Amino acid sequence: MSHSAPGLNYLNHAKGFKSWALTLDHKRIGIMYMVAVSLAFLAGGILAILVRLELLGPGETIMGPDAYNQSFTLHAVLMIFAFIIPAIPAVMGNFVLPIQLGAKDVAFPRLNLASLYIYLIGAVIVMLALVNGRIDGGWTFYAPYSTSIGNGILFVTAGVFVMGFSSILTGLNFIVTVHKMRAPGLTWNRLPLFIWSIYATSIVQVLATPVIGITVLLLFLEKAFSIGIFDPALGGDPVLFQHFFWFYSHPAVYIMILPAFGVISDLMGTFSRHQVSGYKFVALSSVAIAFLGFLVWGHHMFVSGQSAVSSIVFSLITYLIGIPTGVKVINWVQTMYKGSVQLKSPMLYAIMFLFTFSIGGFTGIMLGVLAIDVHLHDTYFVVAHFHYVMMGGNVIAALGGLHYWWPKMFGKMYNEFLAKIAALLVFIGFNVTFFPQFILGTQGMPRRYYDYLPQYESLHELSTYGSWILAAGLFLIMFYLIASLINGKKAGLNPWGALTLEWTHTTTPPDHHNFHDTPVVTRGAYDFHLARHLFENGGEVSELDLGGDGAAPSHEATPVPQEPVA
Amino acid sequence: MANPQTNQPAHVKHYFVSSEQQFDAAKMGMWLFLVTEILLFSGMFVAYTIYRSWHPETWMALSTALDWKLGGLNTLVLLASSFTVAMGINQIQRGNQKGLLINLILTFVFAGVFLVVKYFEYAAKIEHGLLPGAAFDPHGISHGFDYATYNVPYGPQFFSIYFVMTGIHGFHVLVGMGLFAWITWKAKNGAFSADYYTPVENCGLYWHLVDIIWIFLFPLLYLI
Amino acid sequence: MSHDSGHHIIPVKMLYAVIGILVFLTVLTVALAQVELGVFEVPVALAIALTKAGFVVMIFMALKWDNRVNATILAVGGLFVVVFITFILLDTEYRGDLSNTTEGTIMDQQRADQAMEGREPERADIQFNRQ
Repeated sequence: MSHSAPGLNYLNHAKGFKSWALTLDHKRIGIMYMVAVSLAFLAGGILAILVRLELLGPGETIMGPDAYNQSFTLHAVLMIFAFIIPAIPAVMGNFVLPIQLGAKDVAFPRLNLASLYIYLIGAVIVMLALVNGRIDGGWTFYAPYSTSIGNGILFVTAGVFVMGFSSILTGLNFIVTVHKMRAPGLTWNRLPLFIWSIYATSIVQVLATPVIGITVLLLFLEKAFSIGIFDPALGGDPVLFQHFFWFYSHPAVYIMILPAFGVISDLMGTFSRHQVSGYKFVALSSVAIAFLGFLVWGHHMFVSGQSAVSSIVFSLITYLIGIPTGVKVINWVQTMYKGSVQLKSPMLYAIMFLFTFSIGGFTGIMLGVLAIDVHLHDTYFVVAHFHYVMMGGNVIAALGGLHYWWPKMFGKMYNEFLAKIAALLVFIGFNVTFFPQFILGTQGMPRRYYDYLPQYESLHELSTYGSWILAAGLFLIMFYLIASLINGKKAGLNPWGALTLEWTHTTTPPDHHNFHDTPVVTRGAYDFHLARHLFENGGEVSELDLGGDGAAPSHEATPVPQEPVA
Repeated sequence: MANPQTNQPAHVKHYFVSSEQQFDAAKMGMWLFLVTEILLFSGMFVAYTIYRSWHPETWMALSTALDWKLGGLNTLVLLASSFTVAMGINQIQRGNQKGLLINLILTFVFAGVFLVVKYFEYAAKIEHGLLPGAAFDPHGISHGFDYATYNVPYGPQFFSIYFVMTGIHGFHVLVGMGLFAWITWKAKNGAFSADYYTPVENCGLYWHLVDIIWIFLFPLLYLI
Repeated sequence: MSHDSGHHIIPVKMLYAVIGILVFLTVLTVALAQVELGVFEVPVALAIALTKAGFVVMIFMALKWDNRVNATILAVGGLFVVVFITFILLDTEYRGDLSNTTEGTIMDQQRADQAMEGREPERADIQFNRQ
């Protein structure tokens, strides 16, 4: 491959619809995923706003009970299957992972493009359900209710099945890429923690997703041919469906949260200017969570009639998950404590994550307690817990990662002042929306209800107001990010002074082939102490560092740029 | 090395360092895919295990309603096809393109035989009304098969699981036939050599897995 | 990268030997199915099937000579199948035992229920742990 001319990068080296639609470039695929996933987030978000609006007061506010049931179901299906699961792995994983590994592309670029199209087809099939009959009763499709409603369920299950394929292909691709395509010198102990967490996520994707495949396939057959595996009227066992469903869907919450851990680890290291404390523990705790995450699915079924023996076992293992998670949180705090924190907008999200995710995590342990779960099951407490983990965990981390890698993706800086305002709005809006729901839950407000007793009105109102603040923050982000593409300041090579390969060894935006020459790695991903040493000797980042062979001593540490970034 | 100094064979993609790396990566990807297949089938094996442990008498009685001779024949056919795949890879590793081609054609034919036998089995079941779930009606259009002699409940579950498991397995056989048609075509055009036979290797791995699934299905459904 | 590991050429003789063993085991499992083995019926059939699968994996799929990563992948896959089945059996085999968790199964409770219906005082001892 020839060296690209100066000024050419992956965005402008080829033009036209075909150059995007048929691209095998992981960066372009990542960007296309970003557009698709953002649209799903927008659609799911609008539905969320509508759901909250309906709950502003008791009785009918803007829609009837049927429309309400369908809205929250579609909100959940879109957000979970079309947004959160692909959000970080498929967008940032695709864009960043091969570059952080020093590879020219993922191991199977064709499969990568296929996974994008499979995802899009799956999303379209799910949307077809809208015009093909009623879909209500939530994203869990519990049999036998789900097989008794309209034919829409056929489309949703088929869509989820197809999107599952996309998820498997992405995970498979990343595992092979991490194993086989690392740059010379990039040992497992030098990998950025983002890679470790994506790797752990991919393991879960490969092992768990096939089971949701067979589950929705059996559900599809149950609906289409009444095969009687799950339907008790035909001799089947509905609890078996829940086992099948949660064998995937519990690990799936780790598909959603593990990549977030990775983003946060990278942000913590970079913006604390310090080696991430307990690197090996943080790295291996991701793998530990991935494996333990497979052994706890029954905690969703404490009141479903599963045996007491299995409830106790599942409850016990659920507590254990707290250990590797706690290891991470403590190490992040330690990193900040030891380092010198720079409060740039991505770091604001990382700190926000510590609060919201810790609340989400702790309430998760509470729900794992058998006796407490009986009281709180199917109340707003669960809704709040879930959103603290998913929105407060995954989405906040995704926003942090987006702000972190945006300059690398498009070569433009966004307005830092607006970014800080938006971060504040998101933080306030999020907590005002979901914290009251914990209280509602403990007071007995059941989840998924269209109507409620007057005693819950004030907290529901507060929650709805919060959703408006949250929406304002998110729309503000959308606004200034798009504006940055039009008139943003040109981003430097390494505006954050990070030490991972995507910042130190590529142009901004990256070249079509990522690197002119394969980089050789001689240090860990967060060896800021090396950088500081060199920096004191007057080192500067220079164009010459890009694409070097790494053998030169200057690659011992790529210096941190001195100029502050607005 | 993204520069002209690479003198790698034509089949090596530019983002791989060597043919070896590309082969290893492809094979590892295939093994990961096989694991997803195993977990997909495991769902059905779990359903089998649960219902068998709940209604053992039904399963023991109704396994005799399946024709073990046809099932056994299909087992042998699939084993033979696994053998021919392994032989084909042996041949191409020695650079024998003709040997590969013959073995691939044989594999394709065996897969076809398997599906034909399966068709006759299904036809008999359907004729006797031994259908899954709600469609189960052994007395409706029965011709010489008296379900009543078995006198067991939960027959529909047995046939649901029988049809779902063998059906999805049969679908995999069908996909395998497609794959073998494709690589047979490529082999005929001399696309493979001792240096490059990754698609043969990976299709072979897939096919062996299909065989292994059947190795389990046959005794579980037909014999015990 | 472990070079050549994936390119091991398996001798033709060994392939013939393996197909011979596989056919023999198939005949054996069919033959044993005609004999009454009682509780050993399922374990014996599964053991034979596992042996056959082992030969296919090790020789035909050449895992014996392959990169260890691939063997690990398969092992992890197998492990999770076992987890899947075991944890569900933990539920389905003890379903309905809401009042006792250490001993007795759903069958014991059914028997206890029948004893209750029959009002046989001497059978009341099986109503353990039921409040």
